Amino acid sequence: MTQQSRPNQLFRNLHAKIAAIPMIFTAVVVFAGGTLWTIFYSFTDSGLLPRLKFVGLAQYERLWSTPRWLISIENLFIYGLGMLVFSLVVGFILAALLDQKIRFENTFRTIFLYPFALSFIVTGLVWQWILNPEFGIQNVVRQMGWESFAFDPLYNPDIVIYGILIAALWQSTGLIMCLMLAGLRGIDEDIWKAARIDGIPMWKTYLLIIVPMMKPVFITALVIIATGIVRVYDLVVAQTSGGPGIASEVPAKYVYDMMFSSQNLGQGFAASTMMLLSVLIVVIPWAYLEFGGKKRHG
Amino acid sequence: MARAVPTRTKLGFTILGWLVGFLIFFPILWTVLTSFKTEGTAIATPPQFLFFAWTAENYIEVNARSDYFKHFANSVIISVGSTLLGLLIAIPAAWAMAFSPTKRTKDVLLWMLSTKMLPAVGVLVPIYLLFRDSGLLDTRLGLTVVLTMTNLPIIVWMLYTYFREIPGDILEAARMDGASLAKEIVYVLTPMAVPGIASTLLLNIILAWNEAFWTLNLTAAKAAPLTAFIASYSSPEGLFWAKLSAASTLAIAPILILGWFSQRQLVRGLTFGAVK
Repeated sequence: MTQQSRPNQLFRNLHAKIAAIPMIFTAVVVFAGGTLWTIFYSFTDSGLLPRLKFVGLAQYERLWSTPRWLISIENLFIYGLGMLVFSLVVGFILAALLDQKIRFENTFRTIFLYPFALSFIVTGLVWQWILNPEFGIQNVVRQMGWESFAFDPLYNPDIVIYGILIAALWQSTGLIMCLMLAGLRGIDEDIWKAARIDGIPMWKTYLLIIVPMMKPVFITALVIIATGIVRVYDLVVAQTSGGPGIASEVPAKYVYDMMFSSQNLGQGFAASTMMLLSVLIVVIPWAYLEFGGKKRHG
Repeated sequence: MARAVPTRTKLGFTILGWLVGFLIFFPILWTVLTSFKTEGTAIATPPQFLFFAWTAENYIEVNARSDYFKHFANSVIISVGSTLLGLLIAIPAAWAMAFSPTKRTKDVLLWMLSTKMLPAVGVLVPIYLLFRDSGLLDTRLGLTVVLTMTNLPIIVWMLYTYFREIPGDILEAARMDGASLAKEIVYVLTPMAVPGIASTLLLNIILAWNEAFWTLNLTAAKAAPLTAFIASYSSPEGLFWAKLSAASTLAIAPILILGWFSQRQLVRGLTFGAVK
């Protein structure tokens, strides 16, 4: 920057700062403010209404000794791991499939993305039905002659979370596939040629050459999936309402129920603070990878 | 794509691809089909695929009982309103970040996106209390404001990535010719960024249309949009599949139709700008 253009630069940045104020204002006041408020009140014994009577870590002690919360955490863990592994793997395989110059690709891609354009409420209800033992898959397979076929995840406490996982995968895999497809298209043709000349089998080319080259796409997909995981709420409400019993509870629902049904705000605040903490564990490494590295290079 | 794929393999992949596509689309198709059945045919075994007596009675009944058009109007007002309000705030912010980046621009972006990753329940109570005290509970205005705020980071992020592709020199030239800041944004930047803005608009309308957490928690009877409309059929009416399907079809139809006619924008928007 030369000396002459400096006032102009300052002037431009002044405008820029003014232009960004409304955005920063909403982000700070609403999210940072609201979040800090929540953390602050998690150390009180607020019941129906927030009140300032500090009880130290009592809410957290109670939280971690509540079976329902422990089940919620376990479910979130299974759901999260399943989402990450399956949506990345299935998304990549579908993208590789679609990359073989198949016809009507655009129409096809739109169909794949349709589930993602639906509300979780609709997804939950539709899959509640498909997985219903009396009307859904189980019934159809039994009609076809396999009488002992059993597939009723939503009515079995041990596997109900997998029923929710199936619906969530249906909703999000198309999106991951589209992201992966864009990544595959960005790969130089010469790489394929080189791999073929060297006689490397197709699956090996994908696994050892293409996947490492698509690291940025994988990171983007990972962040999109990961942020959706902690927030899972509406799907569970629509599909099982946390049942049977408390078998499919998730942390966001625990927070919600504590605040509005059990009139125990303090518990809800403590639980949502724990959720925040888990988000930070995901976001900070990503931020370091995505932004920390680039900034050092200028 | 210069890679040679043998015709037979290609045909095989196409068929396989379409099979998977059909499987993915099937739940949506089935919901639409079921909505035209009577409650009896809906649960018939074996399931009836196409050859049943088509009826529109579910639609009539659903509409009579919960006033589809009121919910529809609420959904339209809230999603379009929050999107436009969001763009109004986001365009200047994205402009600032794309064309006058400072050392802290990346930090601001990251920080802003991180708010989108926080679980919404974390701010539910403060917002609920604020809304109760200012009389915004169960109003379309209140919901519009909340959805604007929740989706703002995504709008800014997407616009920022589009704006960055526009050469700053053109804006510079406009400024040299004496265009004021407002004119520069409205007459020079915005027209050039129309494809990006259109994708952002579509994505955000879909996100706001589907948003269930805030809409279920902050509305009751007056301002309830379509998500609340379907949700009201879920628990007590668990066994009335045909009516539930009709309600679901009514709620998703606008998105499916809008998406079909703007496939490019839909794909670009839903993949957060990653697929062009």
